[in-house]
Amino acid sequence: MKTLTELNLEAALAAHDPLARERAITTAYRAHENASPAVRELAVLAVQFPAILEPIEEGDLFAGRIRYPLVSFGPEPGGLGYACRAEAIRYVVAGRGLDQEACAEAEEMIAYWETRATAARTRAAYPPALAAALPSDDWTRESGAGFPLYRMAGTVLDYRKLLQLGLSGLDAEIALRAAGASSAQRDFLDGLRAALGLAAASLRHYAAQARSLAADCGDPSHVAGLSTIAADCDAVSQRAPATFREALQLAWIYALLSGTWNYGRVDDWLGSFLVADLDAGRLDEEQATQLLCGWWRLMKAYDNQFNNRVFIGGRGRVNEAVADRFAMLAMEATRRTRLNQPQLSLRFHADQNPALMARALDVIGEGCTFPILYNDDVNIPAVARAFGVPEDEAVHYTPYGCGEYVLANRSVGTPNGVVNLLKCLELALRDGHDPVARRQAGPRTDDSSFACFEELWRAYAAQLEHLIAALARQEKIAYDVTGREAPFLFLSVLYDDCIARAKPLFAGGVRHLGGTLETYGNINTADALFAIERIVFQERAATLSQLIAALDGDFSGPDGEALRQRLLAVPKYGNDDDAADAMARRVHDHVCILTREQAARVGLDSYLVVVINNSANTLFGHTTAASADGRRHGQPLANANNPAPGADRGGVTAFLNSLVKIDPGLHAGAVQNMKFSRALFTRHRTKLEALLAGYWAAGGAQAMISVVSRDDLESALREPEKWGHLLVRVGGFSVRFIDLPSDIQLEVLGRTLHE
Amino acid sequence: MNDITGIVFDIQRGALHDGPGVRTTVFLKGCPLRCAWCHNPESQTFEPETGRSGRIYGRALTVTEVMAVVRRDARFYAASGGGLTISGGEPTAQYDFCSALLAAAHGEGIHTCLDTCGALDWPRLDALCAHVDVFLYDYKATAAGTHRALTGIEPGLPHANLRRLLAAGATVRLRCPLIPDANAAPDHLDAIAALGRDYPAMAIDLMPYHEIGAGKYDDLGRPRPALETRVPAAGETAAWLDTLHSAGAAQAALG
Repeated sequence: MKTLTELNLEAALAAHDPLARERAITTAYRAHENASPAVRELAVLAVQFPAILEPIEEGDLFAGRIRYPLVSFGPEPGGLGYACRAEAIRYVVAGRGLDQEACAEAEEMIAYWETRATAARTRAAYPPALAAALPSDDWTRESGAGFPLYRMAGTVLDYRKLLQLGLSGLDAEIALRAAGASSAQRDFLDGLRAALGLAAASLRHYAAQARSLAADCGDPSHVAGLSTIAADCDAVSQRAPATFREALQLAWIYALLSGTWNYGRVDDWLGSFLVADLDAGRLDEEQATQLLCGWWRLMKAYDNQFNNRVFIGGRGRVNEAVADRFAMLAMEATRRTRLNQPQLSLRFHADQNPALMARALDVIGEGCTFPILYNDDVNIPAVARAFGVPEDEAVHYTPYGCGEYVLANRSVGTPNGVVNLLKCLELALRDGHDPVARRQAGPRTDDSSFACFEELWRAYAAQLEHLIAALARQEKIAYDVTGREAPFLFLSVLYDDCIARAKPLFAGGVRHLGGTLETYGNINTADALFAIERIVFQERAATLSQLIAALDGDFSGPDGEALRQRLLAVPKYGNDDDAADAMARRVHDHVCILTREQAARVGLDSYLVVVINNSANTLFGHTTAASADGRRHGQPLANANNPAPGADRGGVTAFLNSLVKIDPGLHAGAVQNMKFSRALFTRHRTKLEALLAGYWAAGGAQAMISVVSRDDLESALREPEKWGHLLVRVGGFSVRFIDLPSDIQLEVLGRTLHE
Repeated sequence: MNDITGIVFDIQRGALHDGPGVRTTVFLKGCPLRCAWCHNPESQTFEPETGRSGRIYGRALTVTEVMAVVRRDARFYAASGGGLTISGGEPTAQYDFCSALLAAAHGEGIHTCLDTCGALDWPRLDALCAHVDVFLYDYKATAAGTHRALTGIEPGLPHANLRRLLAAGATVRLRCPLIPDANAAPDHLDAIAALGRDYPAMAIDLMPYHEIGAGKYDDLGRPRPALETRVPAAGETAAWLDTLHSAGAAQAALG
């Protein structure tokens, strides 16, 4: 599987003048270096759009494809803000064998951005102590307990407003706000209006392209489709959309221009257009489903891994019955396309139309891994508590990406830090020394001769406190620098309360400025601490130094292996063992509360843990030494709040009971992977429904369900060419099993299958 | 406190195939039979054992301790019509413990299944009926010689007890292990069909032989049973089912 980044790189390699767009964007920035942020951003956007919008391809039902250049502006897809991918540029220069002059030019461009890219400016703004606490950004390769990330992820726009007002209506609203605004405010507001003009121009660009393609096309069936695209693009460049197709077209182009790739409660903002067309006979359900399939395919072309969240269902939608009709078709589109995108997600609650959940289980049972399930009855109060907002705000919670929550068009909450809790414990056991990196990586917390378990806990907590204080500071600096650099005009137009305040999104505009921190290894840490407490401090079967020696030796030798077996025999989280689960809860509560407490200190409205998973559990596993839960050096960490692979042997009910012991009201999203056999969805469907009902009633917040058999997975390992259809949920994303690297395939295979 | 102690070799939570709904299955150690196809050799002797691997099979638990585990899944039982299943070994061989556990579960309103071969005196089996909602009743072989050869005991008592239970109005789910070249013979299928005709409300599960738990025999240092059999082909299984259906046992199904 190729990532967006790799595809963009391939496109650059193949281009006639491979770095032309990069040069043009650099030139535009350079010419406006001292202009206001809004003027500078506009100058760059005007080069970027519609230039980086890719042509309509055969079979596309809507216009809208994009390839980010290696120098770009946006919140996330091409990098943070003004971003320059130096390594990739050098790769292109070498790959195309460009001449010395072009090479020098590229190097000059790279050097220019070295101090001006938003990520670089962010790092440059770290005070010395922060830079010392976070020495590296290379979290995928280097050993370390915590790293910063650079992005403005997870913005979810107010598409309802976009579709109601259209570009022209938005322009009118902003013009009204600009009357009587200060000159600084006007600069920003004028920028917003100009961005809307760029959106209209981009639509016209596609309209012209579609007409020209139609004229050149010999196939009459394609001509009709292209003519419709042209008409829709023309229409919504001028006025608010009137049909489902127009609405979808406008929303899609706007999403591409804004650099967002999570779409919030799509049934809520698109459902009324669908139902109006269905009721008027302009569309039938089959046609509508095909349109959604077409949109799904375009989403996959945009990002094929971590994003494209489409939400359906749940409380707080304007018209549930109307939205439900959209939801049913969306599930059908997912069933038919059988793609790993979009990440269709269903919110549900006790009073919801049961047809939605029934259909969801059908689709999941077919092995689609979607929809992902979110229990509103648990999540809404939990979000209210975690974010510190009333429930009528919390009802707008919208998971994005791998499962982090934001309040749609009301809050931002980019995860700009990653922490490996197990590495923190590793450091605590060794007075801050990292045995993998072979350096002093954390504060000196003790001489490691802990007299009791609580002393060890305090050392672990101290490692974590040091790191999280740094990452919270880093998060705020990232917002501040980004806010100074650029107003993010497309985002600001559709985010509360940017227009009313006449302030850019990241410079005082957003209603709720949140941040999030990704934590990994939570469960291994809990299991390891519990095993240490039992074996070292209670049973005294080994001393701490014997344990550390065994860990340093990766349990080699008969003594090492014997100790490993003892550690493995200690109860583990995931088996409904109250003592083991209590340690998981203690670790969870501690890191969540510690993180939450940073918000006021650094000036955020919230700063919350997210217990999500991408492939970070596997990558962090590579650089984490053997641990006291019995895990060997290099093995994956348990994903999110799930039991360590194979550790949950107490049966599915015990597993589910353990999951609900983790408090969902302390964080901004946690994901639960479950792997069930197909028979549960067919022959034993009522039992499956009972298992889920019991889980939801007990406080289960979320579930991501893969339906596979062990035989399927093993066959796919042996004969990947025959198993292209096999989708699995890795953590915060779904993927074709055969596309996974082998170590992650084995990790997925190792997880408990409930059958 | 109910401090009657039993030897339990496993507790499986979230069991989906041991009776209606989602269940917790408690496996009691010890069995008077020695079925040639036994998948759980660790269930045969009554005392806890330690395998060559160091693995311990069986531990003493009180009724109170077992109920503390069983109770944890009450919400799943309620949602699914599930409950407690007691299996073995032959659970009635630890009669007092088995009986007390059934009563304790019923006392808390938890549905119960008893997985038994019925090889115990009728009055003792009869006395259990008050606290058993469903009997999962093993029907192992028909002809006396075959039964003796395959299980080590005479069939008289289990066969008679089955009829007695049914006559007494107990809910019975017949569980029929079918072992090619061993018990899966025409006379046995005929007998199952006859039971099906006589008691049309009784569910009948056919359980075709699957690969034996040979590794556990090795770990326990016991010879693998000398059983000349094989995993039946899908067509063979379907033919058994056909035979039963056409002989009037419409309720027979693959378990």
